[in-house]
Amino acid sequence: MKLKSAGFNREFSLIAAIIIMVIVFSIIQPVYLSTGNLLDIMDQSVINGLLALGITYAIITGGIDLSVGSIFAIVIVVVGDLLVRGVDPVIAIVCGIGLGFLLGLFNGLLISKLKLQPFIATLGTMSAYRGVAYIITGGWPVLDIPANFRSIFNSKLFGSIPVSIFVLLAFAVVGHVILKYTKLGTYIYAIGGNEEATILSGVNVNRSKMLAYAISGTGAALAGMVLLARLGSGEPAAGQTYELNAIAAAAIGGASLAGGRGTMIGTLLGAILLSTLKVGLVVVGVDTFWQYIATGAIIVIAAYFEVIQDKVKKINFTKKKIA
Amino acid sequence: MENQKDNIIHFKNISKVFPGVKALDNVSFSIEKGEVHALLGENGAGKSTLLNILHGVNSEYEGTVEIRGTAVSYKNANEAIKDGISKVHQEVSLIPELTVGQNITLGNEPRKGMFIDYKTLHKEANAILEKMNCNFKSEDLAGTLSTGEMQMIAIAKGLYHNAEVISFDEPSASLTNQEVSTLFSIITELKKNGITILYVSHRLDEVFEICDRATVLRDGKHIDTFKISDINREELIKKMVGRDVSAYAVRNKKLELTDKKVLEVENLSVNGVFEDISFHLKKGEILGFAGLVGAKRTDVVRTIFGVMRKSGGTIKINGHPVEINSPEHAVKMGLGLIPENRKTEGFIKYFDNANNVGLTKMEKFTQYGLLNHKKKTDNCNQYAEEINLRPKDSHYMTVNLSGGNQQKVVIAKWLSSDAEILILDEPTKGVDVGAKAEIYRVLEELLELGKSIIVVSSELPEVLGLSDRIIVMREGRKVKEYINENLTEEDILQYAMGVKQ
Repeated sequence: MKLKSAGFNREFSLIAAIIIMVIVFSIIQPVYLSTGNLLDIMDQSVINGLLALGITYAIITGGIDLSVGSIFAIVIVVVGDLLVRGVDPVIAIVCGIGLGFLLGLFNGLLISKLKLQPFIATLGTMSAYRGVAYIITGGWPVLDIPANFRSIFNSKLFGSIPVSIFVLLAFAVVGHVILKYTKLGTYIYAIGGNEEATILSGVNVNRSKMLAYAISGTGAALAGMVLLARLGSGEPAAGQTYELNAIAAAAIGGASLAGGRGTMIGTLLGAILLSTLKVGLVVVGVDTFWQYIATGAIIVIAAYFEVIQDKVKKINFTKKKIA
Repeated sequence: MENQKDNIIHFKNISKVFPGVKALDNVSFSIEKGEVHALLGENGAGKSTLLNILHGVNSEYEGTVEIRGTAVSYKNANEAIKDGISKVHQEVSLIPELTVGQNITLGNEPRKGMFIDYKTLHKEANAILEKMNCNFKSEDLAGTLSTGEMQMIAIAKGLYHNAEVISFDEPSASLTNQEVSTLFSIITELKKNGITILYVSHRLDEVFEICDRATVLRDGKHIDTFKISDINREELIKKMVGRDVSAYAVRNKKLELTDKKVLEVENLSVNGVFEDISFHLKKGEILGFAGLVGAKRTDVVRTIFGVMRKSGGTIKINGHPVEINSPEHAVKMGLGLIPENRKTEGFIKYFDNANNVGLTKMEKFTQYGLLNHKKKTDNCNQYAEEINLRPKDSHYMTVNLSGGNQQKVVIAKWLSSDAEILILDEPTKGVDVGAKAEIYRVLEELLELGKSIIVVSSELPEVLGLSDRIIVMREGRKVKEYINENLTEEDILQYAMGVKQ
């Protein structure tokens, strides 16, 4: 299927880029290649990965979700508060997921029913949701998160792999199945590709958009609970500017901000690539300031790669047309 | 014999190869000074490539272009414009926020020191607009003008640069008949002033009306250059397509119609747009909507399809009154709309044929909430067969198909959704002659499948050739309903233009 093969190419190059990075860093600093370190890379990509997977849904519709960092913070303080009040961890997690879903749904409502531009709508909710997070705790952090909640995300499976990595993978798989194997997924791609044509095909575009933003909020909720479990405390200021890293991962993974393109696998690899780089630079001892430059360079290179790929595809296409 | 001195443009052995494609193959011919020269050929014949070479858009090619007897090689469109070679594009690109005068002089504004001299700018622009008998001023905002008027600006822009050659690429595609006749009188005027016109159009009527000579290209090759007065339509079409294709829509057979009405519309209105539209559609018929651009035919069908909200009137489908307030609902009621603009409204550019065709009714391939991609592909294959899609490949990206085949994919969407009533808005706009004939054939086959069809078209031969009945609209009102027997274009135009009420 052409739609897939185009993405596959991208994903293959991302895997190659990650492997090359790992090799280069390991040559400089052999300890980089240890199992512990590789797990650390995965672990580091969980929070950004969850946010990025969610935001990819918004991006594929041709929109954006700037509010993920604030949804992340609300979920942290609300779930934290519930846990401190003695609510059962499983119920708290369900509440957290539901809350993220609803906050995202509200974004979707503004964008689909009120026809606001996604950038502006979520810029508004980014600020408003942040305010809500502060109000809930009165600006104070939520402390002393019970161990039973923390162990749900932090305990190790198969010896040494933290559960949170499986949360990331599970969200990616579910996200992938929705995109590729449900009506909703096809509609989301269709809306991003050509909203007008999608409306005229009889698709309920508003509902699909609302669900896309709800899924984006859900990713942020999961990310928030992972952080809450890791730190054992949560603060309403958490997650500021996280949306930018999430957008970066999605863009590196091949999601087009113009809409219509993007995959879960691509975004997941984009997030892993970013943390591979980040951990690598730390391990080989590069200054923090230079890490920002390297991250920026990767984003630009990935974007340029897309341009080249499109050109090559065009040439191949005309060749094929003749043959 | 041609007199070499009279030739303003001489194409000498022009070849152009795109990666893997020979777009032009050793093309040689001349254009005489002061003539209106038609450039004809099917889509992909090489007309646009030749124009792009002339206008400096493509600067790499084999062969030479001589202008006024000397070889030129423009590096970009600006150089060509400054040398007096201007182009009026198919889709006029203006900056709506700027004034008419600013658009005309864009990039070459008269200056006073480092500032733009607006006084001179508007004076010069107004002088040109006056010469063209335009009823708008240099100071007006470009965005407030109609499409036809915007085209006038493009011509004025050429004149501002003292154009000697102006080429028009499908200028009438988005104009009303009124605007087309204005355009023609301007072209006649330009010709009187010794300006040479290159005219690209799919509308043969226009070519016969205003062109002196024509050149036909086919598959990148020069086929012939000749005087228009020496040739008739059928011969001309034969040269263009290289085979016999009926230029006009012809119904091979009309079905015996019963009294079964699939769609009844009564007193349909949208405040301020159209009023009191009543008609019905019988099962198995083609109902044509004729009228000039601006008659609001598109608005009527879009309202029926739930894109626009009606302010009054009733709609019945198969005898049952329905309230359609979204396209989603319209599709559920068995309606299908093939919109006027395929690229922006018809299909999704990143989708292959299987997804584009399947989009209208994904439920067909969904089981337990999950899609079955194989079923979706099979579905597309089935319809690709019915509509003779080329290539018959479900995984081919729709955007890479030819215009005619893209249109077939959009039609197939509605076969896939089992629509009973198909509404086609300008179904052959921008489609070449060969593909037109094929779309007409597909429409006839749809009737045999039991569908009923509404065709909105500004091309009278198309409406006359296809329809069982014809409704004529003018300025938001239904002015006449005809049974299509022995009708002529004049019959329809009299009502469409308001000669008869």
